[in-house]
Amino acid sequence: GCLGSFQRLKAAVHYTVGCLCQEVAEDKDVQFSKQTVAAISEITFRQCGTEGCFLILCRHAKRSTVTTEDVKLLARRSNSLLKYITQKSEEIVSSNMEQKEKK
Amino acid sequence: NENWSLSPEEFEIWDRLYRIKESDGVKEPILPQIQFETLENLEEISKHDEKATRELSLSEWRIWQNRAFPTSMVDHSDRCYHFISVMEMIEVMRHEQGDCSYELEIQPHLRIEDVNVPGNKSHLSMTNST
Repeated sequence: GCLGSFQRLKAAVHYTVGCLCQEVAEDKDVQFSKQTVAAISEITFRQCGTEGCFLILCRHAKRSTVTTEDVKLLARRSNSLLKYITQKSEEIVSSNMEQKEKK
Repeated sequence: NENWSLSPEEFEIWDRLYRIKESDGVKEPILPQIQFETLENLEEISKHDEKATRELSLSEWRIWQNRAFPTSMVDHSDRCYHFISVMEMIEVMRHEQGDCSYELEIQPHLRIEDVNVPGNKSHLSMTNST
């Protein structure tokens, strides 16, 4: 059912958040309580829900497919984040091009 | 007044009633600036005189934030309700020791094919250790 797939998604997010927190913990030499990891994973899960505003951005541009431009708009409030996302986007584009050339 | 700026009369009112002056004994309110801990910071960080300014806090009243505050003309957004829910979740977990109720509830639903297991280095043990 729907609840089951929600739980499954939450569990996957929680697991991954746990791994990422573990990396940060080692890097910064701090410890995260299980409750902190749980809260971060719930925030992440819900944040994905609010990013459903993707669809609104798409409709704004009269498109039905989400593009990298929509993703960049999500980062518009911080120059640092926008630069990072834009660089990633360019990397993806160029590696896609290389892949096509190989074929 | 057709200009973007205040007219002399408006300026006089602003100066008298609203403008914060040193003699008022109140600090000028400022908003916290965006900073990313994990990214190179491009934002201009302007230094403020701590004696003359008061940075408005978004966390000082956190124990109030596990319920929806009253609204006037603008309803709460979905994002706002998500925030309230997570604050409530944190409130519930606040006094937990060791085992985490969220983890216990969610873990049985994990399917390993949903997640990236990078070389499996010590990550699995993490969820079991306190």
